[in-house]
Amino acid sequence: MKKLKILMMAGVAASLMVSAANAGSHSKRGADGQLNIIYWQAASILNPYLSGGTKDTHASSMILEPLAKYDEKGGMVASLAEEIPTPENGGVSKDLTSITWKLKKGVTWSDGSPFTAADVVFSAEYCMDTTGGCNSISNFNDVKSVEAVDDHTVKITFKVAKPFPYGPFVGATVPIIQKAQFKDCMGAKAPTCTTQNFGPIGTGPFVVTEFKSNDVVVYAANDKYREADKPAFATAIIKGGGEAAAAARSVLETGEFDYAWNLQVEPEILAQMAAKGKGTIVTSFGTSVERLMVQSMAVSADLGDKRGTKEGGAHPFLTDPAVREALSFAIDREILVEAGYGKAGQVTCNVLPAPAVYASTANDDCKKQDVARANKVLDDAGWAKGSDGIRAKDGVRLSILFQTSTNGVRQGTQALIKQMWKAIGVETELRNISASVFFGGDQSSPDTFQKFFADIEMYTNNFDGTDPEKYMGSWTCSNIPAPSNQWIGNNMPRYCNAEYDALVAEMGKTASIEKRAALAMKMNDMLMKARVMIPLIHRGDVSAHANTIKGVRMNSWDSQLWNVADWTRAK
Amino acid sequence: MADTAQMNDQKSDPNVLVRVDNLHMHFPIYKGIFRRQVGAVKAVDGLTFDIRRGETLGLVGESGCGKSTAGRAILRLYDPTSGHVHINGKDIAELSRTELRKIRPQMQMIFQDPQASLNPRMTVGSIVSEPLDEHGIVSGKEKKARVGELLDAVGLNPSFVNRYPHEFSGGQRQRIGIARALALNPEFIVCDEPIAALDVSIQAQVVNLLEDLQSKLGLTYLFISHDLSMVRHIADRVAVMYLGKIMELTSVENLFKTPKHPYTKALLSAVPVPDPKIEAKRERIILEGDVPNPANPPKGCVFSTRCPIAETKCFEDAPKWRDLGKDQYVACHLAG
Amino acid sequence: MLNYTIRRLLFAIPTLLVISFIIFIILDLAPNDPTGNLPLTIPAEVRAQIRESLGLGQPFHIRYIKWLEQFFINEPLNIMEHWWGAPIGDSDSRLRVTSWMSRSPVVDLIVERMPQTLWVVGLSYLVGILIALPIGVISAYKQYSWFDQIGTFISMVGFSVPTFFTGLLLIVVFSVNLGWLPSIYDTTLKVTDFSSFMAQLRQLAMPVMVLALFNAAQLSRFMRASMLDNLNQDYVRTARAKGMSEKVVLLVHVLRNSLIPVVTVIALGVPQIFGGAIITEQIFKVNGLGQLLILGIENADIPLVQTLTFIFAILIVFFNLIADVVYGMLDPRIRYD
Repeated sequence: MKKLKILMMAGVAASLMVSAANAGSHSKRGADGQLNIIYWQAASILNPYLSGGTKDTHASSMILEPLAKYDEKGGMVASLAEEIPTPENGGVSKDLTSITWKLKKGVTWSDGSPFTAADVVFSAEYCMDTTGGCNSISNFNDVKSVEAVDDHTVKITFKVAKPFPYGPFVGATVPIIQKAQFKDCMGAKAPTCTTQNFGPIGTGPFVVTEFKSNDVVVYAANDKYREADKPAFATAIIKGGGEAAAAARSVLETGEFDYAWNLQVEPEILAQMAAKGKGTIVTSFGTSVERLMVQSMAVSADLGDKRGTKEGGAHPFLTDPAVREALSFAIDREILVEAGYGKAGQVTCNVLPAPAVYASTANDDCKKQDVARANKVLDDAGWAKGSDGIRAKDGVRLSILFQTSTNGVRQGTQALIKQMWKAIGVETELRNISASVFFGGDQSSPDTFQKFFADIEMYTNNFDGTDPEKYMGSWTCSNIPAPSNQWIGNNMPRYCNAEYDALVAEMGKTASIEKRAALAMKMNDMLMKARVMIPLIHRGDVSAHANTIKGVRMNSWDSQLWNVADWTRAK
Repeated sequence: MADTAQMNDQKSDPNVLVRVDNLHMHFPIYKGIFRRQVGAVKAVDGLTFDIRRGETLGLVGESGCGKSTAGRAILRLYDPTSGHVHINGKDIAELSRTELRKIRPQMQMIFQDPQASLNPRMTVGSIVSEPLDEHGIVSGKEKKARVGELLDAVGLNPSFVNRYPHEFSGGQRQRIGIARALALNPEFIVCDEPIAALDVSIQAQVVNLLEDLQSKLGLTYLFISHDLSMVRHIADRVAVMYLGKIMELTSVENLFKTPKHPYTKALLSAVPVPDPKIEAKRERIILEGDVPNPANPPKGCVFSTRCPIAETKCFEDAPKWRDLGKDQYVACHLAG
Repeated sequence: MLNYTIRRLLFAIPTLLVISFIIFIILDLAPNDPTGNLPLTIPAEVRAQIRESLGLGQPFHIRYIKWLEQFFINEPLNIMEHWWGAPIGDSDSRLRVTSWMSRSPVVDLIVERMPQTLWVVGLSYLVGILIALPIGVISAYKQYSWFDQIGTFISMVGFSVPTFFTGLLLIVVFSVNLGWLPSIYDTTLKVTDFSSFMAQLRQLAMPVMVLALFNAAQLSRFMRASMLDNLNQDYVRTARAKGMSEKVVLLVHVLRNSLIPVVTVIALGVPQIFGGAIITEQIFKVNGLGQLLILGIENADIPLVQTLTFIFAILIVFFNLIADVVYGMLDPRIRYD
């Protein structure tokens, strides 16, 4: 079992060092006055289990803490735990079916009561109750039991071997909530506990003093916080509302706020604002990739119920690898980044671009646009240009219906791609669908991204945390959305390859980080070679902070406010 | 103007209550982006006449000839473009707003549309009593008594004071209008077609009321009307207006017996005779064409374009105001 | 008048029921998913569970009847309980209309947002009226004067330039360049002393002016037209003939009559105050009822949107009645019996 010993996230060791180096230059708790944060999407609720919104998770991360957090490099940092359990230190069992967390001693909740293993056990029960509608329930997949070994030890047992057992209680989406406060809010009663959901008692650096749903959260420093000199701010607010440009303005131009989240603003405008010198733009890259999904089933409306399913037959032209290749090489990804993303985007040729250990370099030839190659591939495959400049073969024209969600940047990208494809003799019809419909799971709507009644669709996907196993498992045969499974499933391109499914199964049994990385890369390369998807842009997060705020470590793996306890204001 | 001199020779005639002297009322016409004045509608173009104390002067003419405008300009409800109006020796065209308000009680007006001329949101009582307050004539109980008296005088039940105008019939509303006009004890009342909007059966009642009040209170009327038979009934003298000017001015008897101006003749010939035999034989003078645009009146005599007897000079020179004797004046080259 | 009012109120009940049913159907038929805005990392099974926990699994008519019960029985009972201070019946297990987005009672959310909406939108309506009436009166009295021309121009600008433009312009001038006024409305500010009162005034200044200009533009046009209508009436001539001063003629005779239709328009506009100002609230981050509604729509929060739109419907029906009654009181020619 030697290989188990090296089962460890590459970042764990590194991040432990980083956090040690980060013992900042704090003077005194509450010495720096008020911290003003603006989130243009306002927090609706402060219980992250009942909200999937990033804004809510971030707002609650100032109050509630998990056992461990991800740092800005994707490594794990212990927060309520003493240390990260690994097979090496005995925290993870040799058969990979259990993980034992040792909790920090002497931690108290903000109401003064002690934090114990019972709270951790309760948090698991709370989320795993299927009638409660917990958003993070997939973090508890395959969990058999969560038990308190003693007051400061929690053992989580899995039904199967878990090579990556850090789903429960790592990251801001799965924090520990107080048993005493939430014990009457289990299951169906969860949503009715407004007081609790709006004012959770936590162990974090701040406590809520006032919460106006979808408007503003007001915090005060938690005087029971375990590090005596933190947080540096006596009070904090997260104001919500408006749009990204206004949020950017309030930090970069008027200086009314100290931190602004998610500044999806035209790159040019953002740069102009930053030129005022009041604030700094910070970016970080997680796993989000804006990609094109390429349909492999026929989607003609004539097919009726068989539309977009295996029964409907193969797609008339997108099954030709030459067409897929040409479509990919015709795109100038750099222009797309420049036009729509600026600092918030990078060209990518992978659907699995990060963490670094998983990132493949085998497909990088797509980073440069190659129209000549695209044209040649199509010519060779017998797709000849007709009198209207559109290529066709055997009466099949290369005419694509291209759909995405309604969003200014996406429509801009669509228009650019349409032009680029026109240059190689491919006709494109553009379509955009309201996000709540497109991403909504309404069975009766033909416009969902799962039904995918179009030839190409574009959106961003990513995965939570740092482990890609589940994400890479999206493209197995069993994940194809179809009427038989109520169109549930993430394999939008309807890719089905026994070889790929075998690799997914193998990863579920593999523990070694190197081997897992090699497998993930192999799967990524397989998908890329078959051009199941055409990745476009590795999307980052863009935020801004006032120049007077020190200690911001922009993080795409966890809440952006994950280390707010360390933030200070320069005098 | 020399031709008006003969009328104004008795400067200080104590019998004359109202003296209108060369009154002009032009309404400017604006056009274009910058609203420049491009001309004027000459609604009243040089009126000169006297009204004697206690008499009723009828002012007749077709619709649009400027009768009503003349009536309003005489009371200075419009600011006249030029000319003078002396009432009791005071030139009201020259008075300041404040001075004007002080002498308002002397002169009042009865309007054509009894519905529109009464403020719909005021009760009859307040409509009648408002000027009493404004001019500080009476107050308190006295005022109430005065309102009751006035309503009684015009034949309305004094208990109607708290009703609103819309609750009355047309004839009753006109009575309210008269009561309102009488409230301040005026000497001079301009009746601007006071019966035109009423039923024929009511017209006589109102006209009789006006006559009764005149004899009781010694009022002086300027009675504007297009109804010649009604004017014949109520007026002492009649002025005939055409296109902003007076064509003929004489006593009722003269007018109906010996009309001199061709326009007067045409008007009279249009009055039906209540005897079918005579009516059938009667020769009517039919005027050709329409009344010319008052913004651009014809050169020479304003009536020349429609006059059945016009000669060359009529188209070139405006006729002078001529005294034909027997208190009969006419503006025509050919009449006589 | 009382009979009329009661009859109208009785008629309002079926009307409102039909309205609520239509709103419910429309919202239900709209292809929307409350889990649609969740991150894609949340798998479909979890989404299905969440939808189930929101009660979406139940058939349409059950959900509608439940909503009716919650809105018409449970919420009023809660309000009465709040007034009396003593519990009525089994108040703990009484289900309230609950927002899906924030999992809290919709009525509480609305009550929480009422102050800023009334402050900003209500005040702007008031300021708008105060600006509009004199401008309308003077413009009409001095028709085609310079004042009238400028007034017409400003009204046209105020009406045709959208609030998101004027709002942004004001922010750029007064917040970014001059730094005088805050660009973000602080809903947590409590007025306790003079300095916090000034802070409140400063943060109100821009949103109120933006909306007031817009409101005033419309109303002043209306006032002007109504004044012009009345200025040429014979009764105005009568008043002048009576020798009333111009002030009395204008302010007593003409203005009072001209106000009749304007007051009706003002009354009909009041429900808009409660509707909030979606765009202006977003620009200045006022986060009032307008922003709540738009968020509810974006997040397919059916109970919230249903309740809010239905409250607007009630207000509209109610203020229509008020407008009619006020009209009857102002204009003696109209009587309802």
